[in-house]
Amino acid sequence: MFWYTFLGYFLFTYLTYGVQASVEGYISPSDNKKFLSVLIKSLSGDNVDLSGIYNGVIGLKLLNEQIGSEIAKKNCEYIQKSFKDDEDPEIIFHVFTAWSKLGCSGKIHKEDTLKFLRNVLTKEKSSLSDLRFSVEALKAVGENAPNPAKISQLLQSKLKEDDSLQSLGHALHASVHLGSHGKFALDRVEDIVVQLDEVNGKLLQWEGGLSTTSLLLTGLLNLEGIKPLTQIQADKIANYLLTRKTVQTSKGIVVLLEAIKALTSSSVSPVSIGVIGKPSVSIEKPELKVRVSDLLGSPLKPVPGPVVAVSATRVVDDVVVLSKKPLSAGSGPTEFTLPLLLDPDHYQIVLSAGSHTVNLHVRVLGPVNIKSFEIGLADVDGTSGTQLTKLDFPNKLTKGLQADSSHLLISKFSLSRSVHQTFLRLHSPKKEIIFIAEVDSNKLYKIEVNINSEFTYSGVFDMELILGDPVMSNPIKWNLGKIDINLGKTEPELKSTKGPKPEIKHLFRQAEKRPSTTVSLLFSILTAAPLLLLLILWLKIGLNFSNFSVISLPFHLGFGSILCLFLCFWLKLDMFTTCAWLIPLGIFTFLSGHKVLSKIANSKKSEKKD
Amino acid sequence: MANIGSVVSKFYSEYSIKTPKKMKIIDAYLLYILLTGIVQFVYCLLVGTFPFNSFLSGFISTVGSFVLAVCLRLQVNPENKNQFQDISPERGYADFIFAHVVLHLVVMNFIG
Repeated sequence: MFWYTFLGYFLFTYLTYGVQASVEGYISPSDNKKFLSVLIKSLSGDNVDLSGIYNGVIGLKLLNEQIGSEIAKKNCEYIQKSFKDDEDPEIIFHVFTAWSKLGCSGKIHKEDTLKFLRNVLTKEKSSLSDLRFSVEALKAVGENAPNPAKISQLLQSKLKEDDSLQSLGHALHASVHLGSHGKFALDRVEDIVVQLDEVNGKLLQWEGGLSTTSLLLTGLLNLEGIKPLTQIQADKIANYLLTRKTVQTSKGIVVLLEAIKALTSSSVSPVSIGVIGKPSVSIEKPELKVRVSDLLGSPLKPVPGPVVAVSATRVVDDVVVLSKKPLSAGSGPTEFTLPLLLDPDHYQIVLSAGSHTVNLHVRVLGPVNIKSFEIGLADVDGTSGTQLTKLDFPNKLTKGLQADSSHLLISKFSLSRSVHQTFLRLHSPKKEIIFIAEVDSNKLYKIEVNINSEFTYSGVFDMELILGDPVMSNPIKWNLGKIDINLGKTEPELKSTKGPKPEIKHLFRQAEKRPSTTVSLLFSILTAAPLLLLLILWLKIGLNFSNFSVISLPFHLGFGSILCLFLCFWLKLDMFTTCAWLIPLGIFTFLSGHKVLSKIANSKKSEKKD
Repeated sequence: MANIGSVVSKFYSEYSIKTPKKMKIIDAYLLYILLTGIVQFVYCLLVGTFPFNSFLSGFISTVGSFVLAVCLRLQVNPENKNQFQDISPERGYADFIFAHVVLHLVVMNFIG
């Protein structure tokens, strides 16, 4: 028993060994077109800068596109005008590279700039990226880096301080130009590859996104004498790079294309196998077109082996319907065709090109015919016989159906094969109602509509049969004719629920009802009446005005005016105006009152003394 | 009943004779205010309090005036002279006037 298990395991590993999954996507012509427009913009747009020009030039070279002489000239002039012996080796590298790639006439580099670059290569303080770009900038103008042994030492000591992925990437790129002194980089390869992050088991990338991944990938693949990545790793990195096809900037496009180019020209160039166009064929055109290419859509060199459909299985029941069928060459070097003379259904096809395999999901479409179709009305209680009219596609009922609440609308039909979606749609300009057909054991479709329970109001409806299926090449929408449903009730006109709402007017609080004028007047008189009584009483008691003298007149005037002011306050003034008036009046009254009263008091005292 | 009548008539005659004239004037004033207040209150019971601030300010005015007048009477009354030694009738009268000005400023503000 154990031996069998072991044997099985051994066989399994043996069979799976050497079989690599392939990549499905690739940089398609439409992607190239999109990249091209971005790159051209970075060369001829309004806000051109030196790095943008570098990216545009390199990007166009990577796409094998020519740069127009007009654009080249303009950019050369721009570089000449704006390059001011920059202090940044990266910019210097960009300028030197763009200058030579654009084919500008003359020299952009001055001896001072080269001196500066050489100086960077000797300084302890230079960063790894400065070192790398200085080496590369010198290379771009045909100069070799001075003293590669010293640079190699510098790079290694820098890596001891900072061995982040970015730094490693720059070191890799620099080491390529140092000849035998760059060998130290080989010791780092394993360390870098180990740091690849896997996403969902399908993608591999280095942390830091597209730019870091591209930097490290191009660096690794530039190294001579080693094979840093396995085919599976290369495929997964390719998958990651293809997910980043949506990059919008010229820099992103350049790093993406550099990485893909590096992968395709390496020994582990991923093979991209995919369906051209839609992954479906029809009975009439059964050829499935398959593309076998590298990531850039070019034919594979060397050809990995014959392209074979290893197997095709029906998805529903896993029945193998095809096996080991070689594909014939198609119209182009990357195109292969596979005739799929199969029944309409979903299929899983395993394709292989040499050791690369891919799983494709393909649909084979076929037509569906309506073998028989009947429609008509029947009584709900079954008193009178069912009257069904036979119809042939695509004819209509000559006479519309007349139905009322006692009727059933019945439709029966059979098809050449079963389909997913079978609907009877009744519609008028403002309404529609859809019924689903049920299939019985004899594969006969039946729709039964109880008019009374499904409809509330009378109306004339168009009837439509809808048939659809994912593997049906002729989806059907068949206008069957009209049905007039009479239920004795017409639909009430619906008011539109849209439109402005009625305006809201502000309502002040309603004043309470006041008593009638008579009552008010009566009580006013009643309230005033005691005043009269007061006067009578005072007269009776006998007020003496003997003490009234001219000297007391100002006081009475003052007090009277205060009372008048209060009256005005009640009628129209506000508190501030009232207070402003009250202060002088009050002071006046106080002074005059004081005078009068003290005089009275004094006269009383003097009377007492006397 | 006759008893009450005799008490009242005796009280009235005593009041007429013993009370100084000034007191009588103030008492008449107090009676006037009392009646006015009663009329207002009756109106409020019969017709309603709307507008409430007007009723309230009128009623406050009568009540306030009544209280002030009672104070004046207390201060002016010769029988209370021992209690209000420092306050002359004139001083009392001036206070009365001043308090009235303040009271009615409030009342007018409230009357609406």
